[in-house]
Amino acid sequence: MSRHINVAGVTLDVEERGQGRPLLFLHAGEGLQPQRPWLDMLARSFRVIAPHHPGFGGSSLPDWFGTVDDIAYLYLDLAKQLELDQALLVGSCFGGWVAAEMAVRNTASFAGLLLTAPLGIKIGGVLDRDIADMHGMPRAEFMKLAWADPSLGAIDYAALPDTELAGIARGRESLALFGWKPYMHNPRLRRWLHRIDIPTKLLWGDSDGIVSRSYGQGWQAEIPGATMETIAAAGHYPHWEQPQAFADRVTAFANTL
Amino acid sequence: MRAWYFSEMAYHPAWEKGLARGSLRVNFPSENVDPVEAGKLLNRYLDEFALCDEVGLDIMVNEHHSTATCMTVSVPMALSVIARETKKARLLTLGNPIANRPDPVRVAEEMAWLDCLCGGRLEMGLVKGAPYEIAPANSNPGRLMRRYWEAHDLILKAMSTTSGPFSWEGEFFHYRNVNIWPRPIQQPTPPVWMTGMSVETGTLAAERGHVVGTLLSSGLAKPMYDAYRKRARELGWEAGPDRFAYAAIVGVGKTREEGLRRADIIADYVRTAPVVAEPFSNPPGYNSLGANVAILKSGSRANRIVTDRNGVQIDHRTASVQQFMDTETVFAGTPDDVYTQLKAFNARMGGVGHLLFFGQGGYLSHQESKENIALFGKEVLPRLLELGMPETAAAE
Repeated sequence: MSRHINVAGVTLDVEERGQGRPLLFLHAGEGLQPQRPWLDMLARSFRVIAPHHPGFGGSSLPDWFGTVDDIAYLYLDLAKQLELDQALLVGSCFGGWVAAEMAVRNTASFAGLLLTAPLGIKIGGVLDRDIADMHGMPRAEFMKLAWADPSLGAIDYAALPDTELAGIARGRESLALFGWKPYMHNPRLRRWLHRIDIPTKLLWGDSDGIVSRSYGQGWQAEIPGATMETIAAAGHYPHWEQPQAFADRVTAFANTL
Repeated sequence: MRAWYFSEMAYHPAWEKGLARGSLRVNFPSENVDPVEAGKLLNRYLDEFALCDEVGLDIMVNEHHSTATCMTVSVPMALSVIARETKKARLLTLGNPIANRPDPVRVAEEMAWLDCLCGGRLEMGLVKGAPYEIAPANSNPGRLMRRYWEAHDLILKAMSTTSGPFSWEGEFFHYRNVNIWPRPIQQPTPPVWMTGMSVETGTLAAERGHVVGTLLSSGLAKPMYDAYRKRARELGWEAGPDRFAYAAIVGVGKTREEGLRRADIIADYVRTAPVVAEPFSNPPGYNSLGANVAILKSGSRANRIVTDRNGVQIDHRTASVQQFMDTETVFAGTPDDVYTQLKAFNARMGGVGHLLFFGQGGYLSHQESKENIALFGKEVLPRLLELGMPETAAAE
């Protein structure tokens, strides 16, 4: 069920399901999409705490709030406020970037970090595009790059109520605010990834056209002891496209902590 | 009603290729422009602007980027040339796309310099910019209008402060020594214009007393003007026609057929201007939440549709000249026809003080462009200048 939690002046709309080790899940640029089966599958093994980022879903976006740093500090405050201990920090896509920004600052609440196709760092040269320009291509092409099977990701917008459409439009606007320039990354983050001092796993869909596996290897090279695995028949969102395989990998990782 | 001639200085030789690719903007490679031909066209268009001064028209210039539809990449560059070639015309920038400009103090400097150069003839439009301008500038479409307003406030302060330097530590812009030289002749600032298509813009412009203009759609213009007038009244003043501007294509001919034909050719500009690759037509955050909900429901075509006076939807890419006349995107015919149409339009809008006369849209030849300008200046303009507040509106 969803509840509202006030943290540092921001009202967060938070999905909380299941019992067990706490798992703070930070969603992708495309939103939380809690109605897809992934969340319930994770909730069989964990107490999943999944906030809508500020400006997404029912979470507020105060005027003063506007950077990924802000989100990172906010969620560190959230973890403290909820007294999370030995929790798993999981981030997908844009949420992976946020999770990494948290982990280079403070890992006191967390036992492990799992990043699935994170955005957020710069590996290549000035003419290399590490992260596909999701805002510079038609929606249909984005879907082809982001999904192994784009039909699984299709949303019938015309069938959704205005409130949900407004939520989607609001989330897209917020993603732009946080990640437009530099595009979906912090040029300085890579140099601080060495500070991550908890076990870290990188998960990649084998058909991800948004960020490549070699980009993932760039992450792996910077985080001490990080391991990397791929999930078959998945694009940029393995938790949506292969929810059971994703939940199994998360559980297996948690069991090593 | 004053009339301000403008053209976007189009590079129409590449239009067919761009249309075939489905995008004339942002991702239409520049290998499709012949720079020598571009130079010839620029000189030709500047001659057309110079002619306006001779026939009593005022002049407007705008800018776009990465596009075959408009070669004016810099309002101050174009107006600098025009300022030297004209004597009487007032010179309007509509405008400086300040939400996409990284350095507002530079904008203030350029505008002040221009005002000095032209002897205080400058009118200064500060605009949000079209959605497809976001990509060439790579400016963040999130909180775009907050950035706009901060730039706006800083520019006006920079132009009107004579006892500087002052410092500025804002959300978006930071300076420690703002002190522009020279300062503008017109103090505190040259007249300020905005553009918009919404009731909200009308209200915000009224709160500052700026002139507000809109482009090519009377269906959007009227509610914005009404909101302006209402807000002005709430603030204790009456907004006269000189606060309102409207951009339209005008084709004038010795015969009705000639005028319509000229308008039809110029209207190719409006048919091509919206042709831009999908992702650049609506960057997230540019449009309101309500507009984006509508676009999600109906697809991206929603943002190039306008409605005519009867509420019928018209797609700009395929509209006939008659359909454009029904949406008051076009005024055309003999000088008498055009005057009659504009007089009726003025009455319907409750008084519009400025016609932004779109008189060259690409394929119209130099000779015909000159004839269009000259005939308008001789036969239409003198009557427009007499046209003030419509009687019906004045009686309200």
